[in-house]
Amino acid sequence: MTTDLSTVIRPIASAHGLPNAHYTDPGVHAEERAALLFDEWAGLAVAADVPEPGDARPVEFLGVPLLLLRGRDDVVRVFHNICRHRGMILVSEPRRIEGAIRCPYHSWCYAHDGRLVATPHVGGPGMNTHAGIDRDALGLVEVPSHIWRDVIFVNLNGNAAPFEEAHADLLDRWREFDSPHHHGGADSRFTLDVNTNWKLAVENYCESYHLPWVHPGLNSYSRLEDHYHIEAPGRYSGQGTYVYRQIRGEDGAVFPDFPVLSQKWDAGAEYIALYPNVLLGAQRDHAFAIILEPRGLDRTVEHVHLYYASPETDEALRAQNTAQWKLVFEEDVSVVEGMQKGRHTPGFDGGRFSPVMDGPTHLFHAWVAGKIAAHRQRAVAAE
Amino acid sequence: MNGLDARMRAAHEVGDGPALVALYQEAAETAQSDMACGFFLTHAFVHALESGDARADDLKARLRGMGRI
Ligand code: FES
Ligand SMILES: [Fe+2]
Repeated sequence: MTTDLSTVIRPIASAHGLPNAHYTDPGVHAEERAALLFDEWAGLAVAADVPEPGDARPVEFLGVPLLLLRGRDDVVRVFHNICRHRGMILVSEPRRIEGAIRCPYHSWCYAHDGRLVATPHVGGPGMNTHAGIDRDALGLVEVPSHIWRDVIFVNLNGNAAPFEEAHADLLDRWREFDSPHHHGGADSRFTLDVNTNWKLAVENYCESYHLPWVHPGLNSYSRLEDHYHIEAPGRYSGQGTYVYRQIRGEDGAVFPDFPVLSQKWDAGAEYIALYPNVLLGAQRDHAFAIILEPRGLDRTVEHVHLYYASPETDEALRAQNTAQWKLVFEEDVSVVEGMQKGRHTPGFDGGRFSPVMDGPTHLFHAWVAGKIAAHRQRAVAAE
Repeated sequence: MNGLDARMRAAHEVGDGPALVALYQEAAETAQSDMACGFFLTHAFVHALESGDARADDLKARLRGMGRI
């Protein structure tokens, strides 16, 4: 099915939101999988998921089996998690690779960096070579990946501009935070399993309009007028605040700051949705990344990770911080699930935006509309 | 074979890589043909590779000497 996107790309004052089908139709979902997720730099996981050399972790992204592997050279790579022989799944549980990855089917072996290093009996019993099998050309297939703020981004279709080029302005915007970000560990990660299309989580995250209503706890110190829009058409959008307040323990202790920050960040913080599916927070004393994993048309798993300026931070304060953010993100669940349900209303026109408050959300819709239109055009040209 | 079969099965059961290396090497020593020897050495080599066992290098050299790798 095709959808009419002409109303979406209008100026915000007269624009409509994306049509229902973008949240309820499997055909449109398939288009978006290709055009919005596989053609772009999508968030897949975090490097902290494979902390030690040799760590291997299978992950699925929209049905595609992938393998995160931290080599003994400490480089994190992403591969298709299948054997070059018969396409068998190679690694089915997270584990440490001591030597090589041995395929469970006919035992072809792959090194920590993906090279094919053994093809037992490929030329007959006890004969491990064959002229027709060029091992050098049969290593694991690597997916282009890039790590930024510990998030592993992948471009599954291998057709995007290099990450640093595609996101040069955001990299520049947050250049001051280029110091090491240390994952807080097991107490600093959690997931939320939400019955919504992944886009609604983006749309909700990047606007501040809902804050006083959905997160009333913020009202005492963070009012609407303390927030500003962040708008980079075609790349990212979100919100910033002028009144960021550090979390304090009972004894008044705070987390250490990231080094060499300018004054702007004393009470400033920014929250950005990096299209397509990564939600980021930058603050003086900690950061977070949320990777939205679309599990289907109407189901999203939000993987939340918190980061600090130092590898050693106070455990109790960390737990307090995780609990605080968890509460905030849980408060958003009912609205993104409610909007998803709402998308089954026949004749819903996509909704109208506040011309003043909804700029970041409208930008995301316009990005979706532009990418989908280009994708459809290419499909027509290819016919 | 001195219960070699049973010992191999037990090692496979628990996925004991280093033991498998030794057992397949042992099998190779008593193999009746060059092909059988190559077969068992191949298994010793693969298990050594998988478990990051230092014996992998020697086994590889041996297989190479036999023109089997
Ligand atoms: S499928 Fe992997 S070795 Fe055959
Ligand atoms: Fe929210």
